Amino acid sequence: MSTQVHANLTEEQVTEISESLGEPEWLLETRLEAFEALEGLEMPDVIRTPGRDWTNLDSLDYETLVDPLDWAQEKDRVDADGVDVLSWEEALDEHGDLIEQRFGSVIDTERNYLTALSTALFSAGTVVYVPEGVTAEDVTIRTEMNSRSLFNYTLVIAEDSASVAILERQSTGEEMDGQRYYSGVVEAVTGENAHVQFGTLQNLSEETYNYQVKRGHADTYGSLNWIEGNIGTRMTKSSVETRLIGDSSESKIVGAFFGHEDQHLDLASRVWHEGEHTTADLVTRGVLDDVARSVYEGVQDVGEDAWDTNSYQRENTLMLSDESEADASPKLIINNHDTEASHSATVGQVDQEDLLYLTSRSIAEEDAINMLVEGFFVPVLDEVEVDELREDTQELIADRLRT
Amino acid sequence: MSSEDLQETDTEARFEFKKEEKSAFKSDKGLTEETIRVISEDKDEPEWMLERRLRALNLFKEMPMPTDWPGQPDLSEIEIDEIVPYIRPDIETRGGVDDWEDLPEEIQDTFDKLGIPEAEKNALSGVGAQYESEIVYQNMKEQWEDKGVIFMDMDRAVQEHPEIVREHFMTSCVPPSDNKFAALHGAIWSGGSFVYVPEDTTVEMPVQAYFRMNSEGMGQFEHTLIIAEENSEVHYIEGCSAPKYSAFNLHSGGVEVFVGDNAHVQYSTVQNWSRNTYNLNTKRAIVESDGTMEWVSGSMGSKATMLYPSTILKGPGATDNHITIAFAGEGQNIDTGAKVYHNAPNTQSTIESKSVAKDGGRTNYRGLVHIADGAENSSTAVECDALMFDNESTSDTMPYMEIQESNVHVAHEATVGKIGDEDVFYLQSRGLDDDDAKQMIVNGFIEPITEELPIEYAVELNRLVELEMEGSLG
Repeated sequence: MSTQVHANLTEEQVTEISESLGEPEWLLETRLEAFEALEGLEMPDVIRTPGRDWTNLDSLDYETLVDPLDWAQEKDRVDADGVDVLSWEEALDEHGDLIEQRFGSVIDTERNYLTALSTALFSAGTVVYVPEGVTAEDVTIRTEMNSRSLFNYTLVIAEDSASVAILERQSTGEEMDGQRYYSGVVEAVTGENAHVQFGTLQNLSEETYNYQVKRGHADTYGSLNWIEGNIGTRMTKSSVETRLIGDSSESKIVGAFFGHEDQHLDLASRVWHEGEHTTADLVTRGVLDDVARSVYEGVQDVGEDAWDTNSYQRENTLMLSDESEADASPKLIINNHDTEASHSATVGQVDQEDLLYLTSRSIAEEDAINMLVEGFFVPVLDEVEVDELREDTQELIADRLRT
Repeated sequence: MSSEDLQETDTEARFEFKKEEKSAFKSDKGLTEETIRVISEDKDEPEWMLERRLRALNLFKEMPMPTDWPGQPDLSEIEIDEIVPYIRPDIETRGGVDDWEDLPEEIQDTFDKLGIPEAEKNALSGVGAQYESEIVYQNMKEQWEDKGVIFMDMDRAVQEHPEIVREHFMTSCVPPSDNKFAALHGAIWSGGSFVYVPEDTTVEMPVQAYFRMNSEGMGQFEHTLIIAEENSEVHYIEGCSAPKYSAFNLHSGGVEVFVGDNAHVQYSTVQNWSRNTYNLNTKRAIVESDGTMEWVSGSMGSKATMLYPSTILKGPGATDNHITIAFAGEGQNIDTGAKVYHNAPNTQSTIESKSVAKDGGRTNYRGLVHIADGAENSSTAVECDALMFDNESTSDTMPYMEIQESNVHVAHEATVGKIGDEDVFYLQSRGLDDDDAKQMIVNGFIEPITEELPIEYAVELNRLVELEMEGSLG
């Protein structure tokens, strides 16, 4: 167990963060509880097969990565009619009781070491509050990281019959020597018949180590969709999770990633079917170039009471370089027989026939490959309902292909 | 045995009968250095084999029990100290007689009931039969002996072919350090088969070994070593059964297969251990250039099975095919799958897994495909299908893929579904009753497996499935 961080971290620092943000007593206590729990917690699970760890989180030098009292960032928040998109300070002011009630109701702050660390130290973040019956489409949040480390906590509360689409962009502002650490937690608390779509476009600098956990519960007739674009960072360990608790609830987890150079992307999509008549669709497509490495884990867990479940999962990886590596583990755990479930995964190169078709029409090979890679992402981009997110992702992919 | 005869036999009675335990030598319960020495001495083994056993024993004691695999069978009931590791049945000829008539009547009767002597006459090149810890019968048709094919009891091979055994026995293929039960196996292995097929030789009919545990609380640890030289071909069939006792039995076999250049080995298992048996095996093949390994496994019996036959595709152009079916009924946890390492260019593998879970049974597909850097132009296709009968049952699919080479084709697919009401309705509307309809659907579901087996075994497997299905459908 890696203990470098909390060896140097003190209760006073945690208290200082909380005080400087003017937080209520309960939140300071929550932070301190998470801080105290660090000692006994394990790193997030990684897949291990004989002789091989798919991701190694223990080797990181957290001590130099984390500077708890420095949280320089720039944040833009664009709200929509009827929706509150607030900093923590404002949110605690306006919706204090509500936040106290919902904070940590979906994410166990002590689920692992990095989540507890994030809870103890978060200084940036956003609260999105969508009141009952309100429909809003264009909530956008932009986070630009300017410090050594940044701990960001986003809480989405969507009341009954609320509907919201949120787009979060993560990027790095000021250049800085050495490695950096970004930790992002997104907690989605949704009501009956609420529909939440949360899209993230992660384009942090390639010196950044990144831990992200996003998790939500879908209530009766509700839907919770996640869209994940992973382009940046040196190493990402991410888990995106939906519990389909309510009957007839739905979730879609759509992912696109593009790793190059020595990037390591460890991405998980997980869904638990708990109510009846629930549907899940997990779709991820990724491209690897240079010596980049990807790890994909998909989990479809159908509980004993999840009658009439439909659950689908597809993952496809395209390898552009012979030095890249792709690991994948799509898992099905089925405890109710009234289930239609399937998953598939493929790994391969650009199709040689497709390439020949294009080059024979006098398209230069490099351009032809770029076209085929862009085409490869189309099925996942088609799933993205927010135009802005789709266009931005396309642009980042195009940029990467042409560097 | 002809398929007609088989259909007339009561399969259940054939597997479930018990014989009074009668042995010439029975080790004490438990596992100590002393036990190992006694077993080795009773077998009159060379010193090097004793040393390997003792080394494996030390490894076994050091290694932890596997407990943290997601969804794995509960192994906590296994108390090694309660197991009788070695029972030498009461026969005169060590290494097995070559005439059924020479066996003591109750052992002969056992194998008669299992239909082995009949099968030998009709469909097999050779037969070995293990009763408790020792091979009691071993015979191969003369035509194969003349060509230099060796099919003998493993214990005898240690005596008669020491160089070849010493080189291959639990060294590069399945070292005892592989896992805790491989280490246990290495310490107390007994019996099993040694098969050697010389260059350019095709053994046209399968050779078969049948493993039978008769005593309560015993462990069976047979070792099978198959060496197929260049351009040779052989099909080895393993059958297993035991009557049910209240105390648990443990089966922990070891299988090592060496497939030479352009050689072809098929290893088929139909396992019907009683529902008190823990079946924890390690099976592995190393395949040289252009060689082919085929694993066909039907796991019907046992209380818990953990079995992942693995293949190392070492030479360019090597091929591996896995076909596996698992059928878990009440109280059973069948955790099975496949492992393939593509370590050379132009290698191919396919894994086809079918599982059926009913009456609270649990099936788990757990598999690993590894394509190493440099194994270019390799391809793998994995297909897992699971059928569930009721809501008390569980079906998990946990594949792992590690791809370090870009010029490859990797495809994995899995489906889980319930038995289709529409299909059942269709068959019922044509006059079949509910039971028959469902049975027919299951038979259709596993057909890709049964068609890989010689007809006698296909019939056998279908009978076992029928047995599982009988009267238990609502």
